Amino acid sequence: MSEELLRIEDLHVAFSTRRGMVEAVRGVSLNVGAGEMLGLVGESGSGKSVTGFATTRLLDAAGRVTGGKILFRGQDVTKLRGDDLRHLQGAAMSMIFQNPRAALNPIRAIGLQIADAILTHKKISKDAARAEALELLRAVQIRDPEARMNAYPHELSGGMCQRVMIAIAISCNPALLIADEPTTGLDVTTQKVVMDLLADIAAARGMATILITHDLGLAARYCRRIAVMERGRIVEEASPRTLFSTPQHAYTKRLVAASPTATSRIEDLVTEEERERYSAVVSKPRLEPAHGTPPLLEVRKLVKRFDQGSAAVADFSMTMAGGESVGLVGESGSGKSTTSRMICRLIDPSEGDIVFDGQSIGHVASRDFHRSPLRKNIQMVFQDPNESLNPRFTAFDCIAHPLMRLDGMRAGDALRKRVEECADRVGLPLDLLPRFPHQLSGGQKARVGIARAIACRPRLLVLDEPTAALDVSVQAVVLQLLDRLRRENDIALLFVSHDLNVVRMLCDRTIVLRNGGIVEQGDSRALFDNPKTDYTRKLVEAIPHIETGEVLAAAL
Amino acid sequence: MLSYILRRIVATLPVMAIVALFVFSLLYIAPGDPAVVIAGDQASPEDVERIRQSLGLDRPFLVQFGSWVWRILHGDLGTSIFTNLPVSAMIGQRLGPTLSLMIVTLLLTIVVAVPLGVVAAWKAGSLIDRVIMGFAVFGFSLPVFVVGYMLAYIFALELEWLPVQGYTPLTQGFWPWLENLILPAIALGCVYIALVARITRAAMLEVLQQDYIRTAKAKGLGQGGILFIHALKNAAVPIVTVIGIGIALLIGGAVVTESVFAIPGLGRLTIDAILRRDYPVIQGIVLLFSFVYVLVNLMIDVTYTLVDPRIRY
Repeated sequence: MSEELLRIEDLHVAFSTRRGMVEAVRGVSLNVGAGEMLGLVGESGSGKSVTGFATTRLLDAAGRVTGGKILFRGQDVTKLRGDDLRHLQGAAMSMIFQNPRAALNPIRAIGLQIADAILTHKKISKDAARAEALELLRAVQIRDPEARMNAYPHELSGGMCQRVMIAIAISCNPALLIADEPTTGLDVTTQKVVMDLLADIAAARGMATILITHDLGLAARYCRRIAVMERGRIVEEASPRTLFSTPQHAYTKRLVAASPTATSRIEDLVTEEERERYSAVVSKPRLEPAHGTPPLLEVRKLVKRFDQGSAAVADFSMTMAGGESVGLVGESGSGKSTTSRMICRLIDPSEGDIVFDGQSIGHVASRDFHRSPLRKNIQMVFQDPNESLNPRFTAFDCIAHPLMRLDGMRAGDALRKRVEECADRVGLPLDLLPRFPHQLSGGQKARVGIARAIACRPRLLVLDEPTAALDVSVQAVVLQLLDRLRRENDIALLFVSHDLNVVRMLCDRTIVLRNGGIVEQGDSRALFDNPKTDYTRKLVEAIPHIETGEVLAAAL
Repeated sequence: MLSYILRRIVATLPVMAIVALFVFSLLYIAPGDPAVVIAGDQASPEDVERIRQSLGLDRPFLVQFGSWVWRILHGDLGTSIFTNLPVSAMIGQRLGPTLSLMIVTLLLTIVVAVPLGVVAAWKAGSLIDRVIMGFAVFGFSLPVFVVGYMLAYIFALELEWLPVQGYTPLTQGFWPWLENLILPAIALGCVYIALVARITRAAMLEVLQQDYIRTAKAKGLGQGGILFIHALKNAAVPIVTVIGIGIALLIGGAVVTESVFAIPGLGRLTIDAILRRDYPVIQGIVLLFSFVYVLVNLMIDVTYTLVDPRIRY
């Protein structure tokens, strides 16, 4: 390893909460060499971001370093105060964050925000800082940088915002950059572009980088060395190859197994005990629908125009049989969410028709559709389980509500039984039912969302990125659950996602959307293994791949 | 931007029209015959008839309204029943003191309340925060006249630092003018300062939790720069809104404050006019206050667009 830049020794960080002190980091030791890119991987709550924030001294007021040292160029960062600290922050060490749009001040032009950083650390004129900011925008490859100098964050795409953040972070040539989930929430193709840019800049400037991510594949692609964190500790540190071929720690094994790859099947993703209930279902042969059965869902030439602009969705047609799973993929802005919402009858199509089980529902106004008897047959699972559950409803209320609204059930034993049955089907422990969303974990909330959706025994479930906000291990369980429900109850799944690995596993067929039109469709595996259009190929290539295969299955 | 302001001004016209209709109807909403109401208890039927004739109350409502609006558009607010002076002249005479009081109060509030709120948010949960918020509760709960008399007693009567009552126009020098306004402005501003400080604190707390504040820290910006350059402007929309709404509060408070400190302003004129049932004067004043309020609202909306580039109309 080259010259050592950062050494973290036995770091402890604790947060004071209402329930007393909670240790988030318990004894982390790490070192980073000059110019090295280190991956710090773990699931939410593992303490990886807290370690990053402690290093850059950006911990929340409630968080405190309770033990250990963070030596940056031999100087203990945790002891710095006043001006010494400010010379460190943004100058010697800088950070970029998840959700770049929120990380930029919404009411300050981006040129100014970059210049702010320069002016804080260099004694130069405002004009000179502006000129430097312009150079930086060029360096992060923003098109038409002169015009963009005066743009505000809301006028830029997420990927652009992250480039601006990178520009701010590198403005004073730091020796160390900490990137906290820099591409989470960006499209796969944008992810690749942004990460490539970051890697190029780091290499060109000899900047050491700590890449904090939950995505093992991403870390494997860009880092030579990966440290895996679990519950505040580093459990394993190795090169990507070693990590994937011979993971040592049980947690790493689970994490590696749960990360979907190009070849994995749903049953590969979880451990033995979780697999049992699932295998019993999978092994049963599926009843093929009798020949000549009309499709469950038929969408004909659907068009959606917002205002007077160009069509967000143009000429979209598809059919789905009962119990079939279809993936809808594409970058943000491709119209996949708009399409799914039209099919759910949450928004009205401008043209075209939707036929569900032989009945045309495309012309029922979306605001009246809740009165349609078909409402309970088409249900939706939303992206963020945190945002889509009412914080004042208990898990029980959440699941009971559609039953009361759509099935006309009254509060009482019958309702309680139905709710408990739904909870049981999604594997939600019954003692969690009286809890409110903030008292549940991400995976439990996802289960509540699914239980709510299946409560009225729908025949079509539309899932809008249902696992995007979840950790990989939770995602694996949720995916398995969805697939089991589909097989057990013959529920058709329309799965909207940008995660192609997940779509490939879960969906029989996939439709690729771009700019509101269908680019390509067909059998999922064939489509991904052998994309016919450049666009699909670009999407497939952008997925971080993990070299795995049989070695991994053996490791479990 | 200019076209936006123009459009907004045009949009205020219907509002002003409705306000005018309401103000004019005041006389008719009050129970009884307007002429009898104006004439008072001791008036003879002849007096009532004379008032009815002179005010044109015998004509149809819409005709009266039409000619009233027509006169207002020509700058004629009518004549006071009591003093026989033109209403516009009476208001003009009293405008200076009230305007002075409101401007001084407004500036005092902004200068005091905003920094207090910012500091309270910055040190949220600390002793300073609790002291500031404690004062805010105090400011809310004390009526203007209590604060006014207390201030006058301490600073004017006991310490003799400032005059007890009265008003000196600005034309007679800056200090004599300001001297008379300090105590009234503090008395009137108490509630207002408390309100704005609380809102500033809440808005700042919200902003300080945002990711971009963390970014500003990551850049190495100093605490002052973060608070006043990065956070305050982001918190400005609710603060500006409350300052604007507070102007209505000031108008109400000015009536009391002017009585306490014997300032010959519009507040006093309003009270006198109401007691004398001098309807043309009441109508003129209410119309003026409404106009000021509509104007303030327009200014608030324009300020939004200056503060936040995301707001476009």
